[in-house]
Amino acid sequence: MSIITTVGGRLSQAFLLLLVMSLIGFVGIHSVGNPVYNIVNIETATTEDIRRATIALGLDQPLWQQYLLFLKNVVTGNFGTSYIYHLPAFDLVMSKLPATFELASIAMLIAAPTGIMLGLLAGRRHGSSVDRNVLKASVSALSIPSFWLSMMLIMLGAVILGWFPSGGRGATVSLFSREWSFLTLDGLRHLTLPALALAVPNIALIARLARSGTIEMESQDFTRFCRAKGLSSRRILFRHTLPNISVPIVTIVGMQFGGMLAFAVVVETIFAWPGVGKLLIDSIQLLDRPVLMATLTFVSVAFVGLNAIVDLFYAVLDPRVRLSA
Amino acid sequence: MKVETIRALWKRPTRKSVSLSKLLLATYILLALVAPIIAPQNPHDPLQIYAWEASSPPLAMGGGGYTYLLGTDGLGRDIVSTILYGLRISLVVSITSTAIAALIGVAAGVSAAYFGKWVDVVIMRIVDLQLSLPTILVALIAIVTLGPGIDRIILAIIIVQWAVYARIARGVALSEISKSYLDAARLQRLPTRRVIFRHLLPNSIAPAITLVPIELGHAVALEATLSFLGLGVPIDKPSLGSTVASGFQYLLTGQYWISLFPGLALFGLIASINFVGEDVRRLLDPRNRSI
Repeated sequence: MSIITTVGGRLSQAFLLLLVMSLIGFVGIHSVGNPVYNIVNIETATTEDIRRATIALGLDQPLWQQYLLFLKNVVTGNFGTSYIYHLPAFDLVMSKLPATFELASIAMLIAAPTGIMLGLLAGRRHGSSVDRNVLKASVSALSIPSFWLSMMLIMLGAVILGWFPSGGRGATVSLFSREWSFLTLDGLRHLTLPALALAVPNIALIARLARSGTIEMESQDFTRFCRAKGLSSRRILFRHTLPNISVPIVTIVGMQFGGMLAFAVVVETIFAWPGVGKLLIDSIQLLDRPVLMATLTFVSVAFVGLNAIVDLFYAVLDPRVRLSA
Repeated sequence: MKVETIRALWKRPTRKSVSLSKLLLATYILLALVAPIIAPQNPHDPLQIYAWEASSPPLAMGGGGYTYLLGTDGLGRDIVSTILYGLRISLVVSITSTAIAALIGVAAGVSAAYFGKWVDVVIMRIVDLQLSLPTILVALIAIVTLGPGIDRIILAIIIVQWAVYARIARGVALSEISKSYLDAARLQRLPTRRVIFRHLLPNSIAPAITLVPIELGHAVALEATLSFLGLGVPIDKPSLGSTVASGFQYLLTGQYWISLFPGLALFGLIASINFVGEDVRRLLDPRNRSI
């Protein structure tokens, strides 16, 4: 019973937060610029054309009415029609989702194992040169601005070496009626550089977390007993230390995965990767308000949802959480 | 976490790499201060720029009677000068916004703890909302709403960062409020303002200060990212981020220097701030001191 009320409380709180977010976002977005000028041809349009376009977009209504209409439509899953592409805004976001999803997944598939390995190695010999170098490298990696990292990867991988293409998605294969790049060789070549750009800061973050967890575990009694029992240090590391440090790591992987859906903005823009992040930036620049609202709502919901999933995952990983619940 | 610990920071030199990062940071600040004196060109002054010398490679001889050590950008601006002037903008934006964000955040957190009830609920709900979303998203919404410009970007970074300070300051203030010295202050019938500013605030501020260097690094990166996306500082007064951005279209044709060098400068700046911040955090967090 208490679980249901807790979950209900959390859900209603999250819902309220999203509502407030949408109000702030809506008012903010509708206070900038006039999208009509991006739709009519500025050179030839008459005042009459502009007036008609304004009415057609519903921009002649007072703002609070526009917001109520927006809310009413959102309840039925309708975010309006893109001003630019003349497609339903939500469908547009959904059509870009596979690209972002596969990019974030591959980046995480690179980042999580690499980061965990580095963290375990560094934490096992606390204070050694390996440890110090991993720590220094992680602080440095977290200091690289992601847009610069992306550009340098293009310079190195595409311009100088010529191994990888500098942008775009490459060949795709249809699966579950969506287009995917990771199933073709050409698609994978296009994925490599942007995935690396997204992975580097995450490797650093995960490595730091795994390192401090490992250091903490090294001083615990059970690790000492394992050692006294004569277990190999590899077995101790992977069978005893790793499960015990997994909760914070899963948290950060989940959070960063959600963050990547949003942070991919920069990387996707540079690599011309047609994902949700690029859509977000394009719609900001083109003042495509329905798409902007749909994208922001989607990213916020996805992020809040992922956090909830991470919370649930605790119970699977940590028996103590399960028992106390 | 008291004042003495903060003082100890300046007295206790630790490892070599730390002093290296402090040295680097000091050099950056010095360069930013003397930029107008040592920069061969004023990149904000169109009269000193020769458009026909746009994207000259490094070490090219310039019309202004000096060598373009690191080349010129797509508009003919000397990269060395652009870096020096861009450094000023990056530092001014990040230092101003971090300082104001810390002040507002600590004030909000302490007020939430002191007044409790609805003040607490309202402030902390906003904080929760903000911290539950990725920073870049909050920054994007803020900057889209506010519009471009240096003052707007400062405001956007403040909006992004105040929440972290508020959460930490509230936690500390809550534990301070239960201590007897604060009861004593209140029993003396001191005015509320005095109790907050002279008693509660000074004792709740130290943990928030440890955040400042880390958040400063974030602020530099955030300003650069927003400028990169074309939502930040105006083109005629380029920051490090917008200079890197302007070099993107030249990168594919092999004119690497426009993005490479300003980006390196930016990376060095953020890294030196982060290494110093890391050290501050380690020194002030007793749990980490042994690690």
